[in-house]
Amino acid sequence: MDPTEKDLQLQLSQPKRRAAAFSSLVRSYQERLYWHIRKMVLSHDDANDVLQNTFMKAWNGLDGFRGDSQVSTWLYRIATNETLTFLANKRLRNLQSIDGDEDVTLQNLQADTYINGTELQLKLQKAILTLPDKQRLVFNMKYFDDITYEQMENILGTSVGALKASYHHAVKKIEKIFSEED
Amino acid sequence: METKKNISLEEIGKELPFSVPENYFEQFANQIDKQIGYNSTRSHKIFRPWMYAAAAVFVGVMVLTPVFYTNNTQHNGTKNTDNYETYVLSQVDETALLDCYVDNNNSKK
Repeated sequence: MDPTEKDLQLQLSQPKRRAAAFSSLVRSYQERLYWHIRKMVLSHDDANDVLQNTFMKAWNGLDGFRGDSQVSTWLYRIATNETLTFLANKRLRNLQSIDGDEDVTLQNLQADTYINGTELQLKLQKAILTLPDKQRLVFNMKYFDDITYEQMENILGTSVGALKASYHHAVKKIEKIFSEED
Repeated sequence: METKKNISLEEIGKELPFSVPENYFEQFANQIDKQIGYNSTRSHKIFRPWMYAAAAVFVGVMVLTPVFYTNNTQHNGTKNTDNYETYVLSQVDETALLDCYVDNNNSKK
């Protein structure tokens, strides 16, 4: 464990220094976690909600953090679980919707104020939306964030082999969607 | 005639079509501070009261050391006498000095 990680975990474990250390932690990790969440939920407002839930869950769960993983890994795990829970709950709420959840998220893609990009970028996002949630996660983490399979294994609890296969299939699916007929 | 164009992910690129409101992250961090009851304006101060006391002692030592040093060395030899004369002369107005010199010359005549 590197000295800064050790020092951080020590500060987080001490009640008097905990709040200051956590405030510093938020500022260090908020952007990374935000974009990790945002790529899944698409909407800025939804990403904001999930990010808040993530940090409050982390704050309330500090006593249960045993230091058996790095703080960053722990935070990513919480953010991932909060995101998947959010998407599952959203799917439940839309069960009765005629359109189904993919179209609702697609609507986010088209209607959100903070979504604006090239046609190609939007087409890629639509293609990614066709993937199951966990495969979408793997694809986003590998393709956009360049997270190693070993780090992903720690965050998602899935073996490196399974992750590689999942990513490979995701790439094939997306490239197939992009194949054009002229 | 139909032709299929295979596009690779490399050609598509990695830019995201997403943006955030201005100052979002600063505001977000401040909001979390409030939620956890952390007063960042108080606790982010670099200097603590004991630091001010230490600084005052340091400044006092730096100011008083030359004074004590000068007082102690005034009893030592010609150099200190010269210093004293120089000090006294510095307190006298030049015009008064000139008048004194002229008066002295006149009285000798």
